[in-house]
Amino acid sequence: MKKKFFPKVIRIILLSMFFIFAIFPLYWIVITSLKPTQEIYSFPIKYWTNNPTLFGYKRLFEFVNFKRYFVNSIFVSLGASFASTIFAMLSGYILSRKEFKWKYSIILFLFFSQMIPTYLIMVPQYTMFSNLNLINKLISLVIIYSGFGAAFSTIMAKGFFDRIPKSIEEAALIDGCNEIQSLFKITIPLMLPGLSAILSFSFVNNWNELFTAVMFLNTSDKYTVPVGLYSIVSKAGVQWNVLGAGIVIALLPTIIVFAISQKYIIAGLTQGSLKD
Amino acid sequence: MKRKKFIFFLLLPTLLLISFIILYPTISGVMLSFKNYSLYNFQNIEWIGFENFKVIFFSDPFYINTIWNTLEWVLFSVFFQLILGFILALLMKEPFKGRGIYAGLVFYPWAISGFAIGLIWSWLLNGQFGVINDILIKIGIIEENISFLSDPSLAMFSVILVNVWYGIPFFAIMILAALQSVPDSLYDAAEIDGAGYFTKLFNITIPYIKPTLINTILLRTIWVMNFPDIIYGMTRGGPAGSTEILAVKMINTVFYESDYSKAAAHGVVIISILFIYTIMYLKLTSKREFSL
Repeated sequence: MKKKFFPKVIRIILLSMFFIFAIFPLYWIVITSLKPTQEIYSFPIKYWTNNPTLFGYKRLFEFVNFKRYFVNSIFVSLGASFASTIFAMLSGYILSRKEFKWKYSIILFLFFSQMIPTYLIMVPQYTMFSNLNLINKLISLVIIYSGFGAAFSTIMAKGFFDRIPKSIEEAALIDGCNEIQSLFKITIPLMLPGLSAILSFSFVNNWNELFTAVMFLNTSDKYTVPVGLYSIVSKAGVQWNVLGAGIVIALLPTIIVFAISQKYIIAGLTQGSLKD
Repeated sequence: MKRKKFIFFLLLPTLLLISFIILYPTISGVMLSFKNYSLYNFQNIEWIGFENFKVIFFSDPFYINTIWNTLEWVLFSVFFQLILGFILALLMKEPFKGRGIYAGLVFYPWAISGFAIGLIWSWLLNGQFGVINDILIKIGIIEENISFLSDPSLAMFSVILVNVWYGIPFFAIMILAALQSVPDSLYDAAEIDGAGYFTKLFNITIPYIKPTLINTILLRTIWVMNFPDIIYGMTRGGPAGSTEILAVKMINTVFYESDYSKAAAHGVVIISILFIYTIMYLKLTSKREFSL
């Protein structure tokens, strides 16, 4: 019998403490979003509500047009995630399978592009896109998020491809497939778990992006969910059940995506490597 | 020749896109920092050399403060994320019933937007109606409400606490994966020699997962330095500049001062610090390869 890292009782206590620390803020925002307004600022603070109400959610959808923001966010996040995943699939494959002169420089370039603060390049991007007449258009966010996503996703994709044995493709080549056929018929199907991880990871990132979106979107019919929250907060006197409802709605898609693909995302993060 | 074409066509879209979205704007962002482009000067944009940097460094009495805040923010955030993430990973290493669900729940903070996290916690930590105050009073740790976010001496502590909350899962995920790869035989051998828990931890576990630790710390440091979202949701840099880190300062310069060149100069300062840090870090840890 191997000795455990911690005695059992201490383990249970510590695991519970981490659990409460992680979960409590979520619990609190959900319960707040369901409280009637007078209970929010009442003393003593209520840890539970006996009169749950959807007032916060109703206001959110009636007065703030949150439905529009939600649809916009879905469009931008899904569009950009799919685009960057496809780019990453192709380039990750090459970086994993082929040897060529600039390979290591390209990998370094991808890595260093992670170091650039998004807000340094926000203003030049804004100028570029306004020259192309693409300001206040959701498509410009799709393009920008695809670019950010493509760099990191390529690194993740390379890691996944590295784990698929080369021999499988070599066998397909011997059987008469050409390289493109073997990529699409053999390797990519094997990559599907990896691709779904990359897709989910980008989706979470894109869904959460705030500052570029604030900069690029200036009419409320174009807002994404984070920009919507940002604008609610900027208005004075917002009620916490309304804002809480907004936060809960904003969290839902990422929590669902994360719950479904958590296993793969974790594998992708930890397997994706820049090692040659 | 055919092979070269194949490589070229599959890599090209990604490289073009990244050049267009990141590389070119970075170069022009750096150039912007040497110009005088602002909302009040759209017409006569010209080179002004290091003027923006002079203004930043010498005319801003708070700048040294901001740099200090940034160091504090990065150092404490990464340190506590690492330590607590490590402990969580060690706890989760041995299988237990419901570990998958447990992982999903304790790791979820990592999937939330930084801005939303900032909002949630600014409500939790509210000085009047915040539940954290209520809990601390009920447990008997404090006697009256604390203004976590409006007291300049506590605000930085508060935003770091929240960033640690957000960052524990990432470290835990990476370290947990690395821990799974440590061969059991190493522990078995050590146990025969009578090694205790800490001996095993420091002589086997940590050396074995060192590459992961080194890479994760590097990556996190870069991300934390560039991450204004949580602070923006909580304090926007206030009160009295006490939580203003460089990244927040830059956002504020864009949104409130509309001085785009000055903002770019802040960005150049950030990149320079990160660049020096990365080179020194890689030298010290003598790593020539990165992995994520």
